[in-house]
Amino acid sequence: MDEKETAFLEEIQSRFQVTGRIQRRQRIWISIDKENLNTVNQWLKKQGFDHLSAISVTDLLDQGVYEITYHVWSYTKKILVTVKTRIDRKNPIIASTVPIWKENAQIHERELHELFGVNFQGNPDLSPLFLEDWQGPPPFTKDFNWREYVQKKCYDKKNERETAYYE
Amino acid sequence: MVKRSKKAKNMRKIIKSIWIFNWFNSCGFAELVPVVGSRWDMERFGMIIVGTPRHADVLFIAGYQTLKSIKRAQRIYEQMAEPRVVIALGSCTMTGGMYWDSYNTIKKLDEYLPITMYIPGCPPRPEAVFEACEKIFEHVKELE
Amino acid sequence: MSNSLESGINELEPYPNSTEYNFYFGPAHPGSGNFGVKLAIDGEKVVSARADPGYLHRGFEKLMEYRTPIQNAVLSDRLCVLEPLNWNLVHAEAVDELMDIQVPERAKYIRVIMAELSRIQSHIIWYGVFSKAIGFDTGFKMAFGYRDYILDVFEMITGGRVYPTGYICPGGVRRDFPSNTKEKIVHVIDKIREMIKLGELGNPAMAARTQDIGILDMKMAIQLGATGPVLRGSGMKTDVRKDEPYEIYDQLDFEIPIKKQGDACARYWIGIEEMKQSIAIIRQALDTLPQGEVIEAKYKKPKITMKIPEGEVYVRNEVARGEAAFYMASDKNGKILRSKIRGPDFLHMIPVLEYLLQGTQIADIPAVYWSLNICPADMDR
Repeated sequence: MDEKETAFLEEIQSRFQVTGRIQRRQRIWISIDKENLNTVNQWLKKQGFDHLSAISVTDLLDQGVYEITYHVWSYTKKILVTVKTRIDRKNPIIASTVPIWKENAQIHERELHELFGVNFQGNPDLSPLFLEDWQGPPPFTKDFNWREYVQKKCYDKKNERETAYYE
Repeated sequence: MVKRSKKAKNMRKIIKSIWIFNWFNSCGFAELVPVVGSRWDMERFGMIIVGTPRHADVLFIAGYQTLKSIKRAQRIYEQMAEPRVVIALGSCTMTGGMYWDSYNTIKKLDEYLPITMYIPGCPPRPEAVFEACEKIFEHVKELE
Repeated sequence: MSNSLESGINELEPYPNSTEYNFYFGPAHPGSGNFGVKLAIDGEKVVSARADPGYLHRGFEKLMEYRTPIQNAVLSDRLCVLEPLNWNLVHAEAVDELMDIQVPERAKYIRVIMAELSRIQSHIIWYGVFSKAIGFDTGFKMAFGYRDYILDVFEMITGGRVYPTGYICPGGVRRDFPSNTKEKIVHVIDKIREMIKLGELGNPAMAARTQDIGILDMKMAIQLGATGPVLRGSGMKTDVRKDEPYEIYDQLDFEIPIKKQGDACARYWIGIEEMKQSIAIIRQALDTLPQGEVIEAKYKKPKITMKIPEGEVYVRNEVARGEAAFYMASDKNGKILRSKIRGPDFLHMIPVLEYLLQGTQIADIPAVYWSLNICPADMDR
């Protein structure tokens, strides 16, 4: 049933050092280390995967890593390949994919730089996108607890109408 | 019968219809634009939407505010001429609503602007908007 | 991105005879919505543009991590206010796939009918606002008058005019159709057909004001990340409902309209044709609606603290504006680890708009801007 996905996964595994699996029809997930990431990405773009759907960062606090995922779709083969890689959380630096997917990748990386603090080397413009004069830590990291921040800043425990916010 | 002072009676003769400056954020768009549309036509009451705060009587804040957009709303409020009224529409505007634990939304709007009238709801129906506009004439102290 | 804007802002009139200046087409402008664009202009032509987002940023993706999936179903309507049921569907599909839930057949048909009604309603808003921006005021009033018929149907079925209170939830839909739904929907669809016929009469005026403005060719559209009607208006035949069918779209018969010119007039024409295709889909689904349950039995009265097994999914859907996707991952404690939301407007409003506004006249800015069918709430999340 999933013949073309199996054939494609075997072709990737014969060329690069990846671990991969097929989740269901039209979905392939592969993991690779940080140094060989862009060789895989460039090969995928040459095979017809020219639509970058999203780039996302997951914060794994207990393991001390950020996991970055690139989801790419091909209009000709109709398969979605997700490429995952891991980088160190205290010093998050990775090479940018702007030379491959151009403006599409540039805007996704700019948003992730503001919200998670990841430094994409090679991106021409990493200025703040959504927030103006924000002095705190990168907002979406797991050690920034929003409920404590809001309870300290905006609400007052002694006010009996606002005790519900402290539960 | 409400007792009105002489100044209020004179103002009541002059102000027959109110002109609105719409500072709508997301939720306000979906429920204020039908108020302009043809089913709940607001032009028959004399209310129109104007493009500049200098012409307006009422500032409609219709949607949750963030740290970035409240600064612009304050500047617009300062440019309006007296007598001016601020109406807050929707529950996310007044109290933070569903986004009470977000780091970027404004939770207590009356610490930033002096609000005259609150319209609760998520989002409120167009009939509620009309009732609020009618109550302005009767109960608002600023018009005295 | 050009550098002339950053240097020009601090020196307003460098040379006394210069015709260059900066202009901020900002959020309080009546023609612009909640979004600002900084323009560098020479005479009447735009030299470069820079988008200024962030007026509606609430941090949606992390708000979802503090709540359980049942609570998120109600929060997911408010991602984009102009098409709440379509985003409800994307979220419900992501949770269904993560928890391996089999949705009953009747629920799938009901989900498709509600999503297509919401798509028609969103295209009517696009038509109305686009007409007002280029000066066709009759179209604006007519569109918002006919849209209220659809909002009455929503109120009858789900209870809310604009926000359906999480009607499409993980496991199916919350409650069944009332008994007179089919007659009411057929009556409303006839009214919409009437509106489309009246709307096409204004065509010569709209065509004259929108032809050859904002041209986007196919190769540049794919590179900038455009999807949905913007990509179809540039000649690419693609639709997520046909490429990877979800729910029951593989059993329904409909076409995908495309046009090759890539200008604002082509995108306007596609909006009207998609409304006609949605009407065909609703008629087919209503005729073949099966009987049965509308929600899987375990989720009829769900516990608010339901636990999710560990895993990750990526779900793509076609909302009215383009391709929407959810990347959802859960950890071993049963909570949501990350839910990334990919919206179509994030790409349309920043790279595509900055590219299209270069070289246009000031008077054509509203036509280009509103032809992309933007929703600032979806971009900022």
